[in-house]
Amino acid sequence: MTALVSLGRLVSAELRRLAATRLPMWGSLAALGSGGFVGLLALVGPENFDPPVPGLDTAPGVRMLLGLLGMCAFVPALLGTTAVASEYRHRTITTTALFAPRRWTMLAAKLTAYAIAGLAYGLIAVTVAGAALFGAAAIKGVVLGLPTATVLALLSRIAVTMAVYTLVGVAVGALIPNQVAAAAILGAYFYMIETALLLIPGVKELYPYLPGGATAALTGFTFLADALAEQMGGGATSLLSAPLGAAVLVGYALVAAAIAVIAPLRRDIT
Amino acid sequence: MNTGSWDIEVHGLTKTFGTVEAVTDLDFTVSPGTVTAFLGPNGAGKTTTMRMLLGLVTPTSGRATIGGLRYTELPRPAATVGAVLDTSGFHPDHTARDHLSVYARLGGFARSRVREVMDLTGVTPFAGRRTRALSTGMRRRLHLATALLGDPRVLLLDEPGNGLDPEGIAWLRRFLRELAAEGRTVLVSSHVLSEVEQMAERVVMIRDGRLVAAGAVADLYGEAAVRVRSPQAGPLTTALLAAYPGTVRVEALDQDTLRIHGLTTAGIAADAAARGIPLHEITPERPTLEHAFLHLTGHDQGDTR
Repeated sequence: MTALVSLGRLVSAELRRLAATRLPMWGSLAALGSGGFVGLLALVGPENFDPPVPGLDTAPGVRMLLGLLGMCAFVPALLGTTAVASEYRHRTITTTALFAPRRWTMLAAKLTAYAIAGLAYGLIAVTVAGAALFGAAAIKGVVLGLPTATVLALLSRIAVTMAVYTLVGVAVGALIPNQVAAAAILGAYFYMIETALLLIPGVKELYPYLPGGATAALTGFTFLADALAEQMGGGATSLLSAPLGAAVLVGYALVAAAIAVIAPLRRDIT
Repeated sequence: MNTGSWDIEVHGLTKTFGTVEAVTDLDFTVSPGTVTAFLGPNGAGKTTTMRMLLGLVTPTSGRATIGGLRYTELPRPAATVGAVLDTSGFHPDHTARDHLSVYARLGGFARSRVREVMDLTGVTPFAGRRTRALSTGMRRRLHLATALLGDPRVLLLDEPGNGLDPEGIAWLRRFLRELAAEGRTVLVSSHVLSEVEQMAERVVMIRDGRLVAAGAVADLYGEAAVRVRSPQAGPLTTALLAAYPGTVRVEALDQDTLRIHGLTTAGIAADAAARGIPLHEITPERPTLEHAFLHLTGHDQGDTR
């Protein structure tokens, strides 16, 4: 009970710490921006892309736009990384360690606080994108190619993905105290390393359990999985269910966080 | 729980970084009620020792405790121990008030404490300024305010005088003496003796990671010394030693410069005048850290007898 009270105290302190920086402003702008970007594409209309792709009134067209939004999930991850790594960069970690010497509690508080912040980010992004999608369809006088319930479900899955990705970012930031290195490693993984890994024979079988595969399961967008199946022959790679995909991603965040706690337990703060 | 004895205790404390021994088999105790100076040249191991006391650096061996417990074992560490370690450690976007609010929440202290410590340490005038725009002196005050949030019984300050102007140092001295007079344990590190001699009653001295001496500051001074420059330094030495056998000691610092122990400036001037010996300089000497080290370790050098 007292442990919970003290965790609540630390979470509130972490939220206060975050709120007083400029990160919420940049975060909100980025969330509005990624939602707005998808909205803009919807207004232009996928059928007007070069080369043209199926329009808003088709299921693949809507899925593609939502998939693009899902790919913006690395932004909150980077913001989470930045927030935590800045504790090392500005050396506030010393005072934080003095006020909360039990580092498990400290990191648990950060993860909780940033899960909240990440979810807020996701909600802003999907609200803007959702409003733009429905708005664009109304303006164009078409009906979205997916049932409204499906669109809303996909949007909420993207919001959850963004929250989970923020956790992954926080854990990476805690693990790699160098702000720039942490951000670079995170970006490189999602853009290059995972795709490269899939070229190794046999790794494809693991794809559902890799961060990218788990993300695809959570968001329901399977570009990469489909492309893999197409290029390598063989049947389509089966993905995990959405909740399982979320669990795998949270698992990655927790493992990274655990390493981040265990490593500094032996690491002196000098 | 602690029943009221907030001693800082260091026993057999050793820390090696790779092959470098930063602190070696250190033993000392700091008691409440007075300011204790933690003296030593730069690189003597003061910061490492303080960081071990605060659980930030893990000792290779030995114990460093506060009120009998390791820092990480304290039930409410920030309400027990306040620490000021360096001038960095602020998020540049935060205002001074933001910084204090975050740590008041982290420590579980009442919101009203933020206002109180700001008034106490003189942070109030720049409370709304972002920390990126604070001067070194302001940063010192803000760190001190942060350390005092939990109204701690024990204070550890690492070189708090660095970067302070003379007025700031005078303020800091008064402030720390008051805190100690309230029954707190106060340990202040410094590499400059003059900075702490007016506020500390006790001293712990280290060099090369090893204890040199621990005791009352008064013991640092040893006997009073006067620096005298005279073209007739030799005859003056002979005359003084003959006039006060056994009570006066004379060091020859230079061909014409002496350090005389056991006499006041007035006494030396009177003796020199009576013998017609001209004096070009006569200055009461304050001991430097170097002299204090030499005195305390009993390695006085340069005696003429």
